[in-house]
Amino acid sequence: MKKGELLDPRKTFGEALLEAGKRHENIVAISTDSSKGSGLTPFRENFPERHIEFGIMEQGAIGFASGLATTGKIPFIAAIAPFVTARPFEMFRNDLGYMRQNVKVVGRCAGLTYSDLGATHQSLDDIAIIRTIPGVTVVSPGDPKEIVGATLAIAEYEGPVYMKIGSPKMPVLFDEDYEFELDRGVLMRDGSDVTLIGTGTVLSKAAEAVDILEKQGIHARLINIHTIKPLDKKIIVRAAKETGRIVTVEEHYLKGGLGGSVAELLALEYPVPMKMIGVDDQFASNGPYEELLGLYGLQSDQIARTVRGFIGR
Amino acid sequence: MYTLSKTEKESLEKQARNVRKNVLRMIKAGRSGHVGGALSTADILTALYFNIMRVDPKNPKLRERDRFVLSAGHKCLALYGVLAEKGFFEKEILDTYGSLKSRLPGHPDMHKLPGVETNTGALGHGLSIAGGMAMGLRMDGLDSKVYVIMGDGELAEGSNWEAAAAASHHRLDNLLVFVDRNTLQISGPTVQVMSYEPLDKRWEAFGWSVKEINGHDMAQIVETVRSFPFEEGKPSVIIANTIKSKGISFAEGKVNFHYWRATPEEIATAEKDLEKVGE
Repeated sequence: MKKGELLDPRKTFGEALLEAGKRHENIVAISTDSSKGSGLTPFRENFPERHIEFGIMEQGAIGFASGLATTGKIPFIAAIAPFVTARPFEMFRNDLGYMRQNVKVVGRCAGLTYSDLGATHQSLDDIAIIRTIPGVTVVSPGDPKEIVGATLAIAEYEGPVYMKIGSPKMPVLFDEDYEFELDRGVLMRDGSDVTLIGTGTVLSKAAEAVDILEKQGIHARLINIHTIKPLDKKIIVRAAKETGRIVTVEEHYLKGGLGGSVAELLALEYPVPMKMIGVDDQFASNGPYEELLGLYGLQSDQIARTVRGFIGR
Repeated sequence: MYTLSKTEKESLEKQARNVRKNVLRMIKAGRSGHVGGALSTADILTALYFNIMRVDPKNPKLRERDRFVLSAGHKCLALYGVLAEKGFFEKEILDTYGSLKSRLPGHPDMHKLPGVETNTGALGHGLSIAGGMAMGLRMDGLDSKVYVIMGDGELAEGSNWEAAAAASHHRLDNLLVFVDRNTLQISGPTVQVMSYEPLDKRWEAFGWSVKEINGHDMAQIVETVRSFPFEEGKPSVIIANTIKSKGISFAEGKVNFHYWRATPEEIATAEKDLEKVGE
């Protein structure tokens, strides 16, 4: 994986799951008519007896995963994000969260990925709803290296996890020697004028925005929050104290996502002026993915402009 | 075919009486609870824990144990009653029912009490969890069985039928479901609220092997369960015809005792009734 290289997140996840499957013989992959599209093909080909198909049955599949986990299996369910979060929410809450089961749910094509297919297939509320469940870790990897790191890390970690990945190819942002640590925010660039906090599919847009700002003489700090729950409070509060202003960037609703998590934290611990960039309280429109990002101000030049307006420069 | 001896039958009936007394003991402590469905399942639960299932109260996490899933979690007074009778925990715990932080919540919590396998309460969850257990046990080459009790009112939840389809598709013949057909739910007779008929045909159509019994007849319960799986490669279901609030004279078959707010006078009468049951 070379820095700058564009890679398919689903394929990357699938290869990482195969590696995790080699390390842990208890891992089973669960498909809800979503195997190939979720990148499960390499796992299925290598471990056919550990790949279980449920058809279009997300509520049932989560219950079965919970039952499998009681026997020591480590189920990974991968499917289109809204169908494993919004649809089976109560199964996620009770069968995985309340029962504290060692099950990993991977929502793929999250955010606006299904740009043309419209709001039923987009997932802009998954972080908001899943992070209300006590004890569920919520992970949103920001580049292909993090997808690999996160997949291996959640396989090791014992407990329920929701991980979201996109679908369009994403650039490798991290160096070869980068080591993913669950629950730990990453300082990607230091700066003192303002802090941008990005996550997941649009971390690269936030990173580009920081480059643009730098050229314009604004020294922005960039923090990557790949684990939204539990939140790395220390790195965020420190940024609030040292830069005085926070801008969050995410492919998610403004309510309840990364921005909401950061605001909840800072309101209590160290209030500073904040700006949130994302989709505001509406069923998103449809169209080409990059244009849709632009409709909600998530392109790097738009982010840079919003930041400049926010800090008055 | 297995035949239950007279001695075994009488012994099970005595255990069931004790389980019902335990249910009443909790009601006495907490003043209210889902008594109707607990008492309609008490005989089935007793048969499972005292005659059928491989469980060890001293080692509740025994790898080779059989699993029990109470999908209709509100019937948990009977589960607590049978686990206490079997020795999974001290009977004194029963007297904490209804108190703050009691280990006996109104729907079971596996982290609070040994022997409880799942957290149920929201209906329509238990069968998929049980299916996953059956699948995992089979993958591990264990001969353990998974037993489930569902309510008949619960069958209106669509998620059950997802689970029913998956269990037969994956040929889980180590899975046995009891439908506790006590015919009543909160709002009235179940088939009037939302019909599940034809019940046997529905299960058959989903690929299950079906038998029907009197859910209060120990010999029928035990002998039927001991012939499970009814067909190789198919999950099994027993439609158990039962009486809601069985054992309490003034509450039997009455819809308003689904959830009972008991007066001291009613409790006194119920205690006398349960002494009579065994006579």
